[in-house]
Amino acid sequence: MTTLVETQGLTKRYGSNRGIEDVTFTIDEGEVFGFLGPNGAGKTTTIRTIMGLLRPTAGSAHIGGLDCWEQSTDVKRLVGYLPGELSLDPNLTGGQILEYYGNLRGGVDQTYLKQLITRLGLDPTRKFRQYSSGNKRKIGIVQAFMHRPRLLILDEPTNGLDPLNQQEFDRMVKEVREDGRTVFLSSHILTEVEQTCTRVAIIREGRLVRVGGVAELKGLKRHEVTITFANAVPVEAFKSLEGVEQADALPDGHTLRLAVSGGLDGIIKAAAQYQVATLTSQEPSLEEIFLRYYEGDGVAATETDHVV
Amino acid sequence: MLFKSVFLKTLRDYRIAILGWGLGLGLLMYVVVDAISSVTSTAAARASLVSLAGSFSWLAEPIRVDTPGGYATWKYGFTILVLALWPILAGSRMLRGEEVRGSMDALLSLPRGRGRVALEKLAAMWTALLIMAVLIGLLTYLGGAHVNADYTFGDGLLFGLNLALVCGVFGSLALFISQFTQENRSAAGITGGLLALFIVVDMIHRIVPNTDWISRLSPVYYYNLSKPLIPSYGTDPVAMLVMLVLSVVLSGAAIWLFVRRDIGATVALPRWLSLPKRAARPEDALPARAWSLQSIYTRSLAKMAVPTFWWTVVIAGYAALAVFITVQTEKQLKSLFEGSPLFANLIGNLGGSDAGFNASLLGFFWVMFAALLMAFAVTQASRWAADEEDGLQELVLATPQPRLKVILMRFAALTTATVIIGVATLALSALAVALSGLALDWGNLAAASLSIIPMGLLIAALGYLFSGWLHTAIDTGLLAFLLVIWFVISFIGPELKIPDGVLRLSAFYYYGTPLSTGLPLGDMLLVLAVAAVALVLASVRFMRKDIAN
Repeated sequence: MTTLVETQGLTKRYGSNRGIEDVTFTIDEGEVFGFLGPNGAGKTTTIRTIMGLLRPTAGSAHIGGLDCWEQSTDVKRLVGYLPGELSLDPNLTGGQILEYYGNLRGGVDQTYLKQLITRLGLDPTRKFRQYSSGNKRKIGIVQAFMHRPRLLILDEPTNGLDPLNQQEFDRMVKEVREDGRTVFLSSHILTEVEQTCTRVAIIREGRLVRVGGVAELKGLKRHEVTITFANAVPVEAFKSLEGVEQADALPDGHTLRLAVSGGLDGIIKAAAQYQVATLTSQEPSLEEIFLRYYEGDGVAATETDHVV
Repeated sequence: MLFKSVFLKTLRDYRIAILGWGLGLGLLMYVVVDAISSVTSTAAARASLVSLAGSFSWLAEPIRVDTPGGYATWKYGFTILVLALWPILAGSRMLRGEEVRGSMDALLSLPRGRGRVALEKLAAMWTALLIMAVLIGLLTYLGGAHVNADYTFGDGLLFGLNLALVCGVFGSLALFISQFTQENRSAAGITGGLLALFIVVDMIHRIVPNTDWISRLSPVYYYNLSKPLIPSYGTDPVAMLVMLVLSVVLSGAAIWLFVRRDIGATVALPRWLSLPKRAARPEDALPARAWSLQSIYTRSLAKMAVPTFWWTVVIAGYAALAVFITVQTEKQLKSLFEGSPLFANLIGNLGGSDAGFNASLLGFFWVMFAALLMAFAVTQASRWAADEEDGLQELVLATPQPRLKVILMRFAALTTATVIIGVATLALSALAVALSGLALDWGNLAAASLSIIPMGLLIAALGYLFSGWLHTAIDTGLLAFLLVIWFVISFIGPELKIPDGVLRLSAFYYYGTPLSTGLPLGDMLLVLAVAAVALVLASVRFMRKDIAN
């Protein structure tokens, strides 16, 4: 697979204010790459820097081998972009807006454009100011997709979309991926990222804290294991086991709750020495993994070495 | 403290307008009243002024124009109605503007009734108007006191109150009309048009005998019934009461409608008043094939089309009117010109004194047109800065359009608009000259009319340049300041014996007096060169800067 997007030490500072710091990642052609982070973490700054709207303070970003700042016009031939906050001429109709941006891109396939409009149930005859926030988002999505770009950069694309349109959007992204094209999207909706993306990056306070495959991230097995024994057992017997990060005895004295990273083999063998009534193991969702990176200041620092 | 209530918050929003309009127009009145001695310094000049005022009786009733109060009332009693623009904007924004921005939803989520919210906002507008009225009244009184005018401080305040009342009527009218429009700008535009119409309706009875009944339909008529600065004429309390009642009725109706309608919706007009709706079918919406959607240049041109049309009407229309006024008042003005050295100097500073009287006087007008075109350019440069701040450049720059092309195409559209205004000014004024038979050099007329174009381009290019670093409000303020300071330097600088080096800092210095002395080619090329340099620097900055969002 060839690398389509590459950032190297990408940094953007706004005077004394933090922007992004030393952001490095790659996106391969054909990937759907998710970008996770809370408000103010640096997602939009990263995206706008890649789009050549902001000039990097340090580092570089390349798309298709082209420098995103120095060769931004050529870069934009490859890209369809949906900004996080969409501002368009309020007095133009949706159809006029799409035609205008289509013309600025040198023309688009009208049949495909009409298909997109139909799929999202958009009425292009209304003025932009008359649209609801969801319909405004649809205009943004259609204009990003309409010229079949090699790379889609979408900043929180499903904000304001209803569940049906979110599903339709997911199908559109899937078709893009099947077509061999690439998607780079930021989102707060972790389940959506989990379903749509092949790889995910997590950004926190302007720095990347994790980049990896969705499966790989979920494979950071920090299982929540709950074991209920027939009789009371000493919790200390489990605390010293390999991979056990936390072990607590519940007030009934028979139940232990363990936070375990890695495999469960040692836990099961240790538990087998006692009479086990029930054992449950819960695998973390991406959401839980995501939240872990934002729970305490120490976590990110200890895991930055995992960045790939 | 100012965030404690809707009333105080709204009043806080008006604070700059209060100071700007109140002090600005107040100082204007001070200067006008103070200048009376210079235009009535000799008996001949006084007689000419009275005669001249009689020629303009259609515009304003000339009563004791040789006194400070009479002169100020005749000369600026009409012009000061420009203050009505503020309540028109404020009234149209008051409720509709909040709805368009989406902030009304948040405001109405508070445990306050709609009626109370609207009343608090209305009260803030009236409070602001009354503060402006006090400022204008106070400064008018001080100007009068300086020249021993025969009106009192109370008369000055009544002058301000009368002005506030008529302006309040138009603010209330804008508030009422905004209940029927989707956007506050439409309401402001319609009310602005009605202001112009009512001014004309008021004039009718001064032109055509026995037509008072028509003029009574105009609020401006009731405003003109009171002339507090002329003690012998006095104030008409009934007329003031009529304006107050009219404001209360219009505001009351607006609030009544606002309380009953959906937020964001409009009051339905009767079918016979509604525009026919085109049945738009989604499948027919694309392709739109509109000329304006082909490129950044055409789109920019389309966005400027409406303001360009109106500015063309104003500038070119006034150019033609100026020609006819000059012909009509040539004798009286010439006498005034000769009898008042100060007046002659003021006209000469801008209009030129090397040629005939017609050219000098018209030259003065043409400098005004250059200033007007520059004001138009300021609004468009401001729009350029605002578009970026509003995020409207974000998607344009996400297309494969080079930044250099984006800024140059936008400037090219502005250039086209200024050329249209300049050429229309030439065409209409030339037509007026031909029809009136005024003796004027055709080449000089062409030079004067077309030379306003580089002046507009200069300030626009500076606006584009400043917007590379400054926020829209500061950019616009700086350009407006430049325009005013340039005008002041050229208008009164020579009288104050300001050094030539300072006079050269004003762009109007380079415009010269083309109607009298022909095209100052070197100076115009210099203006164009400075504009070009500013545009190049603005382009370089735009290509290298972060795009705001």
